Amino acid sequence: MSITSFAFLCSFAAVLTLYYLIPKRVQWMFLLFVSILYFLTAGEPWLLFYPAAAITIVYAGALYIDGVKEQKKKKAALSLVVVFCLLMLIILKYCNFGIYTYNALAMRGFWGSGLLSTVQLTIPLGISFYTLALLGYLFDVYYEIAKPQRNFFKFALFGFYFPVIVSGPILRYRNMEEQLYAPHKMDFKQVTYGLQRMVWGFFKKLVIAERLALVVASVYGDYRTYSGFYIPVAVICFAFQLYADFSGGMDIVLGLSEALGIRVAENFRTPYFSRSIQEFWRRWHITLGEWLKDYLFYPLLRTDTFGRLQEICKKRFGKKTGKKLATFVPMFFLWFAVGMWHGGAWKFIVGSGLLHWCYIVGGELLTPLWKRIKVFFHLGADSLFLKAWQQLRTFLLVCAGFLFFRAESFSEGCRMYAAMFFTWNPHILWDGSLLTLGLDAIEAALAVVALIVLLIVSVLQQKEGIRDRIARRNIVIRWVIWYALLFGVILFGYYGPEYSAAEFIYQGF
Amino acid sequence: MTREAIYERLNAVFQDVFDDEEITVNDATTAADIEDWDSLEHINLVAAVEKEFGIKFTMGQVVTMKNVGEMVDIILKSIG
Repeated sequence: MSITSFAFLCSFAAVLTLYYLIPKRVQWMFLLFVSILYFLTAGEPWLLFYPAAAITIVYAGALYIDGVKEQKKKKAALSLVVVFCLLMLIILKYCNFGIYTYNALAMRGFWGSGLLSTVQLTIPLGISFYTLALLGYLFDVYYEIAKPQRNFFKFALFGFYFPVIVSGPILRYRNMEEQLYAPHKMDFKQVTYGLQRMVWGFFKKLVIAERLALVVASVYGDYRTYSGFYIPVAVICFAFQLYADFSGGMDIVLGLSEALGIRVAENFRTPYFSRSIQEFWRRWHITLGEWLKDYLFYPLLRTDTFGRLQEICKKRFGKKTGKKLATFVPMFFLWFAVGMWHGGAWKFIVGSGLLHWCYIVGGELLTPLWKRIKVFFHLGADSLFLKAWQQLRTFLLVCAGFLFFRAESFSEGCRMYAAMFFTWNPHILWDGSLLTLGLDAIEAALAVVALIVLLIVSVLQQKEGIRDRIARRNIVIRWVIWYALLFGVILFGYYGPEYSAAEFIYQGF
Repeated sequence: MTREAIYERLNAVFQDVFDDEEITVNDATTAADIEDWDSLEHINLVAAVEKEFGIKFTMGQVVTMKNVGEMVDIILKSIG
């Protein structure tokens, strides 16, 4: 059952009503029941076994780590549980990646001719999200940042919490603990704010993302015909489709949870306004970046091996440069992990991971040159021109990676680059050819208007929450805005019995 | 060791790590107050502080300390 389906919305209305009618002390039990029910209906029911197994092992592991005195035993238990959870993730999600990579190398004749056949495994929804959330909890108990949850069913709610289990954000137990199990009184403002945010999410998903998806699919489906300038147009459309899809999904999820009185961490902060790649990753899929920083990057930087490497680099290249150069190594592992998290395919590892590592390394190495250019052109840090240029540059660099994200494979992505650079057809930008990509003039105009609305909201959000701004207006303006948005979704959204809105792109992860 | 004495040594560590002799820190100083204090420099800073005071922060402390005041509290506790 997709969260954009009518059935889900009706069910949620019933859940919300019951949630505030039942005794407050059993609200969390009700949420656990609903969460399990949701997981059972969202995919094949037997897949419940996987998150249930992970939750049980992590629950037991955390209790053991907390109870035992010897550091060695704590470490052994931690390693055992982490290996178990990662093995489950690797076998289910990355098994075919290993087979494809082996076959690709074998076919190039490095050894033998026996190719391996791929395996068809059904993957539980949201495995990458709940695995990271559970492991984060385990690390926090190990680092003594969090106290373990002794009630198994309460912990199961953290693992299964239905708004976030399928597509995130990745929860932190220490931020959720009090809210998940606390009694929640019906708060009119909280519920309406939650529902308003859901409508905004539906607008992004059904009006913007689904519309742009048609253009993207046309070009990606036949890039040999739609070569040259069609490709950057499709990639830019995909960048907005992906943002509207993922952040729209997050708006729905965060709105659902807010209506239940439970605030979940934000996953986006207008990322396309970023002035550097580093800033982009602090504003795009924030909970993934934070998770990897705390549980992968920091521990890597704290190893003795890294300490030794830094000393060698400092001696050889000087203090400042040496320090910088040494960090490129753990950063490589970090970006490899970011790419891998998106899926077992080189298109993700390169396009969403290592390419960004190259950007950051390149950016760091070119820092002295940029400084000289800025001095030469008298560009201060607050220069509007510089800011606009940095935002545009960052957006285009991100788009260069997104080309791979949507491609069938890494090699298809490379072929798309070739098709883009070896055809010169700028005339398609103004001769009406773009209107053959799935959106006629009216539909294309609607997409542009919807993107302008998104831009205006994003600009306004920089200073203050948009819902607070609207709430301060008089009742007529408030109702006009929210009804316009609601009817915008109803009239211009892509949904209905004969149209199946595509799944959320990040749901597959 | 007094809090003041720790700050004296801590200022020198900050100045060295961030290459800025103007830096002086206090209890309320956070990463937002020092331009180059990002996630990477945070670890370099932690390592430099550990070396200066001969202590070892736990990973929990590294990821949760919110300002220099908390860092000084941990140092005081560790060196007794």
